[in-house]
Amino acid sequence: MRVVVTRSIARPGRTWQPVLLIALTVIGTAAISVWKPTALVYGVQRAGLYAAVAIPMALILGIVHIVNLAHGELMMVAAYLSYFAARLLGLDPFVSLVPVAVVMAIFGLLVYLLTVKHALKAPELNQLILTFGLAIALSQTVNLMFTSQSWKLSLGYVSASATVGDVSFGVFDFVYVAAAIALAAGLQLFLKRTRMGKAALAVGQNPRGAAIVGIDVGKTYAFVFALAVGLVGGVGSLFLAKQAIFPMVGGPYTMKSFCLVAMAGVGNIVGILYCSLALGLAESIIDGIRGYAGWSNMVFFVIIIATILVRSWRERKV
Amino acid sequence: MRKAFVAIACFALIGAAAFAQGVIKLGANWPLGDVSGMECSKAAQLAVDEINKAGGVLGKQLQLVVVDDEGKGDKGVAAIEKLATVDKVDVLLGGIASGVAVAQVPIMKKYQIVTVATGAAASASVEKALGPSPGSDWYFHLHPWDYNQGQSYFEGWDAIQKKYPNVKISKIFLAYEEGAFGKSSFDASNAIFGSRYTFDGASFKSALQGGSDYSAALEAAKDFKPDLFIWAGYAQDALPLLEQSKAMKFSPPIYLGAPPAWPTDIGKSPLAEDIMLYGMWAPSINDISPISKKFSDSYVAANGTGPTSYFAALSYSAVYIIADAIKRARGTDREKLISALEATKYASPLGETITFTPSKIIKHQGIKNQKILQWQNGRQEVIWPFEVQSKPLVYPLPSWK
Repeated sequence: MRVVVTRSIARPGRTWQPVLLIALTVIGTAAISVWKPTALVYGVQRAGLYAAVAIPMALILGIVHIVNLAHGELMMVAAYLSYFAARLLGLDPFVSLVPVAVVMAIFGLLVYLLTVKHALKAPELNQLILTFGLAIALSQTVNLMFTSQSWKLSLGYVSASATVGDVSFGVFDFVYVAAAIALAAGLQLFLKRTRMGKAALAVGQNPRGAAIVGIDVGKTYAFVFALAVGLVGGVGSLFLAKQAIFPMVGGPYTMKSFCLVAMAGVGNIVGILYCSLALGLAESIIDGIRGYAGWSNMVFFVIIIATILVRSWRERKV
Repeated sequence: MRKAFVAIACFALIGAAAFAQGVIKLGANWPLGDVSGMECSKAAQLAVDEINKAGGVLGKQLQLVVVDDEGKGDKGVAAIEKLATVDKVDVLLGGIASGVAVAQVPIMKKYQIVTVATGAAASASVEKALGPSPGSDWYFHLHPWDYNQGQSYFEGWDAIQKKYPNVKISKIFLAYEEGAFGKSSFDASNAIFGSRYTFDGASFKSALQGGSDYSAALEAAKDFKPDLFIWAGYAQDALPLLEQSKAMKFSPPIYLGAPPAWPTDIGKSPLAEDIMLYGMWAPSINDISPISKKFSDSYVAANGTGPTSYFAALSYSAVYIIADAIKRARGTDREKLISALEATKYASPLGETITFTPSKIIKHQGIKNQKILQWQNGRQEVIWPFEVQSKPLVYPLPSWK
């Protein structure tokens, strides 16, 4: 998708937006804490997972301008790699995280060089079909190799719990919150403080201009794509620690990530943290209302439709 | 005249020889991308190979033609169309999902090929669509209907409470995945348990659909304080649910999982210890049934690992039931084959002898009983029916360590 990036990938939105978001977050947090404290805890944890998966997608979309519909499937492949590292080499997912991320980055580079690179100038629809095809190819290959049987590591620490008053809850999922914050902060630092990051930002904003000033656009795209796949690979390892894996496990996360990226605005990495929090809390709150848990699926659709409507309304005003 | 007689006799002999040397085609559909479907296909092929090795049926070899229904109704319909018109199979078998079966019923009614179904539990859709006898007499349903399952559980828990006086059940909670499978499980359980027990439930989003958080359903269950906690979801939910239950310090006296299949390695998890489950076959039946042991050993020898769900044993049984009926019917003539199948008495690997008796709507229902099992030392042990009990019940579920 060839999107004209009008805002910096690393730049936050208008000044009133974060303030409003923070205010809403504080009010919402207080209200949920009174009504159902566990909804708050699990909403935040869920948000962490969503954000950790979505941030690498935002990086690709913001700089390479490709909607990677194989994003969740790449995470799934990484989770399988991590699973085999655990089964065959006895490596804990937290240990295999780095090697798996490196392997996935190399795999991402190959995917970029063999497929994505050749579709950069193609119409947006072709790009979407390409990554959609990649997603199907990855999930079906894994299905053929390992069947649809789900696999899950049994790790004692994922059941770690804390008790506050008479409420007990799991604490492992805060790992995803930490991962999301680390990813967002790390990418901000990378994009603002490093030579390669600045080059990537320049390419994301204006590829032609970047090329004129001597930046190798092709290499930058390849690097960013590989980096994002490596990052989602690392998230895949963490994902494996808690979740059961199977060939189709990645699909829903592609959709959620796309929703979050669209909601936050193309390339707005920090915005993804806020949007994930909103999505995670909203889902968790609706889940907590007896008899209406199924409606939490609607949140995702409502958000994506509302975002598109608001964006088109704003553009018309301009 | 004499020449004509000789010619006719020759043709008849050639024809008979060709018939004798031919094959009996069994057509099957299962979702081959799904591990249970693939296991069904392997188990049925194992039975075919065993029968062929022993000389076949009426001097003919059995041939199994399997079509992948992908777990989708339209593919299931296309599978029947192909098996009936292109492969021209003599008998049909197979199936897992009710959604596929209900879509197949109209085309199956069109061809009326004798069928031994290994799946489809949803009575409200599939059995209703089949309709009563004689219109559905060609359909032999091996798998229990949902109301058979519910009734079986009801009887099972009654029997367990009688045998183990310390087991007291008055409150049952069902956490169910929010799709059709979970919802129908809730409705069926509510209809059966609701009259006798205090019954409640809450839905969750299965990991199969991208869910990862069971806290809302577990919290509702924890508040309810059930004596029997049941979850109806998929294999992908099994261990994450247990982990989250432990994290939330939710340990009811009986914790029971009712997924269609369990993850292969769940028995290795200490969290699975003493968790109960419903099923029809488990490797522990090998200890008390030589037929089960023969099936299990042959399956492992052919495929390297044992089956993970009871569907494999059902499919294996289906082939033997068909082969036996063809032998007794002296061929594949439809009416004679139906009569022969009606007289089936097959000592199956499931630990029971399969016969066909009427159910609520159709005339030919095979298995009506489920089993109540428990994970003990990484194995599924049969707790009820007591005739096939392999280990005593561990009760209550020890608190999470």
